[in-house]
Amino acid sequence: MHGFGFDSIHDEICVTSPLAQAILSFRGGASGEEAPVRVIQGPHTQIQGPAALGNDRVSVDPVNNEIYIPVSPNSVLVFDRTANGDVPPKRVLTGPDTQIRGMPSVAVDPVHNVLVANEGNALLIFDRTANGNTKPRAVIRGPKSGVATISSFQIYAPKGWIIAEGQGGFIGAWSIEDNGDIPPRWKIPVQTLTGYVASGIALDPAHKEMILSAAGQRLRPPSGIANTVITFSWPEIF
Amino acid sequence: MRIILFSAGASLLFALSSVPGMRLASMGSARLLSIEELPEAGDMCERPDSASKRESLPEQNLFSAFKETAVNAQDNGGTVDVTRPPVRDIRDTAPIYSSVGVDIQHNEVFLQDSNTWSIRVFSRLDNAKPGAPPTEARRVIAGNKSDVQFNSCVYIDPASGDVYSVENDIGDVIVVFNHDATGNVEPKTKLKVTHRAFAMAIDNENQEMYVSVQYPPQVAVYRKGASGDEKPRRLLIGDKTKLSDAHGLAIDTKNNLLFVNNWGNISDYRVAGSGRFEPPSITVYPLKADGNTPPLRVIQGPTTTLNWPGAMSIDPDTGDLYVANDMSQSIVVFHSKDEGDVAPARQIKGPSTGITYPTGVFVDSKNKEVWVSNLGNSTATVYPLMANGDVPPLRVIRSAEEGKASLRFGKTQALVYDPIREEILVPN
Repeated sequence: MHGFGFDSIHDEICVTSPLAQAILSFRGGASGEEAPVRVIQGPHTQIQGPAALGNDRVSVDPVNNEIYIPVSPNSVLVFDRTANGDVPPKRVLTGPDTQIRGMPSVAVDPVHNVLVANEGNALLIFDRTANGNTKPRAVIRGPKSGVATISSFQIYAPKGWIIAEGQGGFIGAWSIEDNGDIPPRWKIPVQTLTGYVASGIALDPAHKEMILSAAGQRLRPPSGIANTVITFSWPEIF
Repeated sequence: MRIILFSAGASLLFALSSVPGMRLASMGSARLLSIEELPEAGDMCERPDSASKRESLPEQNLFSAFKETAVNAQDNGGTVDVTRPPVRDIRDTAPIYSSVGVDIQHNEVFLQDSNTWSIRVFSRLDNAKPGAPPTEARRVIAGNKSDVQFNSCVYIDPASGDVYSVENDIGDVIVVFNHDATGNVEPKTKLKVTHRAFAMAIDNENQEMYVSVQYPPQVAVYRKGASGDEKPRRLLIGDKTKLSDAHGLAIDTKNNLLFVNNWGNISDYRVAGSGRFEPPSITVYPLKADGNTPPLRVIQGPTTTLNWPGAMSIDPDTGDLYVANDMSQSIVVFHSKDEGDVAPARQIKGPSTGITYPTGVFVDSKNKEVWVSNLGNSTATVYPLMANGDVPPLRVIRSAEEGKASLRFGKTQALVYDPIREEILVPN
């Protein structure tokens, strides 16, 4: 699994079952072999993944009650959060103008109403309700930006910070108002500090912390321990 | 009409405290609390739809509390490096064993460690008794030259003693080491295999190597000794095979049978929306099955207790099939000709066994023992071959302090934070 979501308003966990082309929603406190409360799966869903990647990441927007899943080819499907069964997506963001190539990770800012897709060392910023072959309203990309690609990233919506990965293994904070080859406002050189390249990001605003997952991919950690979860204090972004 | 509620510190809470029906949380930085329906009252409460509208609002309002004036990096003089070290980390310093193989000729046990990316070699007779320190490995293969990463299977060739290891994720190779290899050594052979290869077995009579692949589910059969980009001789694949998220694999060369277990996650990646779930199963084929060949028989159903089955191993004397039944915390044994919704002939399960999240199993027919690798506690345990029920292990190889529960980290690629319970959720 390369990315999943927690819906703190409705207290639910949202994950994909990649090989079965399904989106599963569980109770937030689910434990053991508890069944999902809803399953989106079937021919109308249009959920599809390439052989090598699968449908392995999903994001949830609890404010607007939507679920976002990147799929093959080069698309992001948007479902109603409460959808259950063999249902079609509400919207499909796809086409050459979107600049989406492959399977991005996605995050939503429900305050500023933007959808951000991260792939190909770029942050593609769309209106949240973008549909069809829509151009991004902004693209953060380039050597000064240092934007890299990560399995899952976050937006801190109250301040419009995109918290994503930079080349060389840093985690940076870009603004949803940025456009072009723009450096991050702040960056934490995670790889330099820890020896790990992060693959997942979570935010804990109450404690002003960022939590990262890393599994040794791309870089064998000096400690020899592949799997880790690392927490940084980052009050500047909250 | 809805309103989005955040907690944004004392001033905001004060400003909102007179609004009836609002849920307020403890003080802190801005965070989303809830979304509440407002009563229908005309157009009295339009949500601001742009930053300019928000900026025109009075000082003490919801959005001003976020201090969300657009902050563009280009406007403030560049990047600020934050070089504080991490405040916490979660990691397991002990090996976590996903697979076990036994070299019967040399009386050695090989354990595949998915946490520190190693293969650890122990004496078959090692035994960490209660109160004893962790078992010292005789040799450890690890390091960047070894290409050992997210490996899911270690297999010892009974003919040569060579050490085979299957990489399941980012390497997509089978690496082969000499029996005595140790340290940060390069494999003597690498074979490129399909992404998500899981388990393997060798048929020395026919000089062939069988490899299971999770998805698209298949069994690839290579020439023994294949390396580089050499293609398989045969490929068992297709909807008629009933393979689905294939994992464990075992071959019975005496009876010419191939066994594969399946987790039941099914789809055709070329067809959108073709996904479905089926119960886990074990599918049985002729050893030489090729192409889209249906199974001879299928073991499947609630009576089987199959639940995320992992490695499998066959007793060559009886044909009995031993299955590491991960989520059922058991080793289950089926007879060679079992079919349908059949109960295991025997199972090793219970608190005395020390079995916890078993993913590896190996039948040592010479010494009449069955080995188990336990993902749950950094151990490998061994039992009499005919053990049944809540049987204590004969011996234990333990690579952590006594009683330590493993984090069971397999690959910590993603995570989320649950602010309600203040918990970090990590899939593996």
